[in-house]
Amino acid sequence: MCTGCALLCDDIEVETEGDKVTVVHAACRKGVARMKGCSEPLECTVDAEGADMDTAIAKAASILRDAKNPLIFGHGNSSSEAQKISIGLARKTGAYIDDTSSFCQGPIVEAILQERLRTCTLDDVRHKADVIVFWGADPSNSHPRHLSRYSYFPRGKERQRGWEEDRKAITIDIRKSETAIICKDERFYQLPAGGDAEFMAALTNALSGKVPKTSFDLDSKRILGLSNIMKKAKFGAIFVGLGLVYSLEELDPLFALMDKLNEFSDFHLIPMVGQYNMRGFNHNLFAETGYINRLKFDGDSKELAHGPENSVVEVLRNKNIDAALIIGSDPLSSLPLSIARHLADIPLITIDPCNNLTTSRSAVTIPCALGGVESGGTAIRMDGVEVELKKIFDSDRLSDQEILKRITEAI
Amino acid sequence: MGFGQFLAAPEIKLKVVTYRDVFQNTAQESSRFGEDYETLSAVIRLDLKDISKLSIKEGETVILRNGSGKVVVQAQKSGYEQAHPGIAYMVNSPWSNVLVPEDTGGTGVPKFKDFEVTVQSARGASVTGIKEIF
Amino acid sequence: MASVMEIYQLLPKTNCKECGKSTCMAFAVDLLARKVTVDDCPPLVNEAKYKSGYEKLSSMITPVDGVTDTGLIVHDEKCIGCGNCVVACPVNVANDPLGAGSGKAPTSDKVIFKVEDGVVKARNVQECRRFGENRILCVACIDTCPTKAIEFV
Ligand code: SF4
Ligand code: SF4
Ligand code: SF4
Ligand code: SF4
Repeated sequence: MCTGCALLCDDIEVETEGDKVTVVHAACRKGVARMKGCSEPLECTVDAEGADMDTAIAKAASILRDAKNPLIFGHGNSSSEAQKISIGLARKTGAYIDDTSSFCQGPIVEAILQERLRTCTLDDVRHKADVIVFWGADPSNSHPRHLSRYSYFPRGKERQRGWEEDRKAITIDIRKSETAIICKDERFYQLPAGGDAEFMAALTNALSGKVPKTSFDLDSKRILGLSNIMKKAKFGAIFVGLGLVYSLEELDPLFALMDKLNEFSDFHLIPMVGQYNMRGFNHNLFAETGYINRLKFDGDSKELAHGPENSVVEVLRNKNIDAALIIGSDPLSSLPLSIARHLADIPLITIDPCNNLTTSRSAVTIPCALGGVESGGTAIRMDGVEVELKKIFDSDRLSDQEILKRITEAI
Repeated sequence: MGFGQFLAAPEIKLKVVTYRDVFQNTAQESSRFGEDYETLSAVIRLDLKDISKLSIKEGETVILRNGSGKVVVQAQKSGYEQAHPGIAYMVNSPWSNVLVPEDTGGTGVPKFKDFEVTVQSARGASVTGIKEIF
Repeated sequence: MASVMEIYQLLPKTNCKECGKSTCMAFAVDLLARKVTVDDCPPLVNEAKYKSGYEKLSSMITPVDGVTDTGLIVHDEKCIGCGNCVVACPVNVANDPLGAGSGKAPTSDKVIFKVEDGVVKARNVQECRRFGENRILCVACIDTCPTKAIEFV
């Protein structure tokens, strides 16, 4: 199983020599790099000095115990089992807990879990979909095998004649991406930055038989053409990328479009989740608390606070936290620097297989096994399907699940 | 580093759109601190017109500035058939994140993909290293 | 990519047959397919008046490694291992409908494309629909590649 992205490809075979992966079959370039491991594995350290595991875990526990408002963040690269322990740890320490979905696909996953948006599995897409829309998404770069495994090229039960005859793939984006190039010019709709909501409204109008107008003068015939293709679809799938999520201020235009589409046809939506188990975290937290992210536990009163003010971005911006535990994530790289800077001022604990910007600023670093290669567990694919990760070989590094368990016990 | 020396060079304001790139992602899996990751990340891709406005050549470095911070990156042609003056592309990375505005309007979501910068030639200066970013 | 005509224009155009081909045009075709090299045309190499043609052709026809019989080249450095060509190639689909044809890793040895270490490897190229009898101009692997890593010369 490849954990390079939330497609979680399960058809990978590897050849190994001792504890090294030598040849990887079928995985894409990015997946191979992940499975072969990073060139700078993380060392176990306390205050930048080499330390043994017990010392590091004791130190991590004392930081979390002493903190009034700790933050636990990351989770996208952890198994569901590790995530559940992490949620327990947050409850115990009265922590803020959040994950990358907070500034990523969170709103879409939430709408799906609340059944505001219809969804389907990737296997449904492969077997049935005849109209596929990539909106603000460029899977050729973010999820390289998306088109070949599920969404465009493969044959499926009701799609036996190959992509040229059986499927229509459409790209809507502000940039002519590699995916747009494969889908061909006549199926590519280029929008100005921030024009998604307006285009969505125009498309909804076109579906209702009104003349679609946009302030950026996209040919209304082309929009009508698209609405006709979508109306006639037997089974449609819209893949929502970050480009669309960031561009929409609210999801209402998307709800309106989906509702309209489903008056004529059978349309589904799948978020293009990046990290392999981000969706798992959303599901697991939702199962326990009814929220998918951005939570603050209050130790004694068992109360929960939820909302944007508890998001990783806002608690850092407002400097609300006094310690942080980061699991399998590199917020100093992935967040705006002006916001992430506060992390460098507080005691940080990081658990990760590899060195990164955040580990280089951490008081405690604890190396963990690489998910899907050195440790197993379960994870949730981008379409919500739970899959089992099998480990390929044993390593002397502990899994993040084990490390989190030991920290929890030490508190 | 003194940036005073660049004051005379023409500067222009551009909108930056960020995107993802599989090669850069692959390099990231191997090492955040590697040379490959820097060469593939610390780049801004410009329209030909903007390149000539800046009076720079492809491959030279430029300094990008806005209210959030500043970085020196390499300038390249975007290679898109359609001209896009006024818009530049950067792959999503710590370098682009230096420039992402802090303001979120309280939503918890920064404007990662779409922000403004001032660009100016930084001929001779080297690209900001990942360890200097912080 | 150079065309046959461009190459032909740079040859001596005398049809002297020294290269073993019956015409310069035939030589140009083979040169494009990398079956012969620029140096296989003696007049071009030896006679001063063809010097500029020789130099231009030498820089135009850069040697490529791994050209297969059908002229298929995979540019390793561009390939991202997405598998689009693996799944789209009609030969792969015909020979391995439940593996490659259904989007999964190939389960048959008879496929043309297979991804290994993140880069596609071509084998069994004699099966390619562009080759042999009843050939057709198939472009499935070229059209589906996001990075234009596949080329036929
Ligand atoms: S598409 Fe994603 S899961 Fe599949 S091999 Fe590539 S990185 Fe791994
Ligand atoms: S040897 Fe050169 S000049 Fe003579 S026929 Fe061949 S290509 Fe033409
Ligand atoms: S040209 Fe067609 S048959 Fe030949 S390798 Fe490409 S896809 Fe396969
Ligand atoms: S389609 Fe192109 S990038 Fe994808 S595996 Fe084939 S050659 Fe490589």
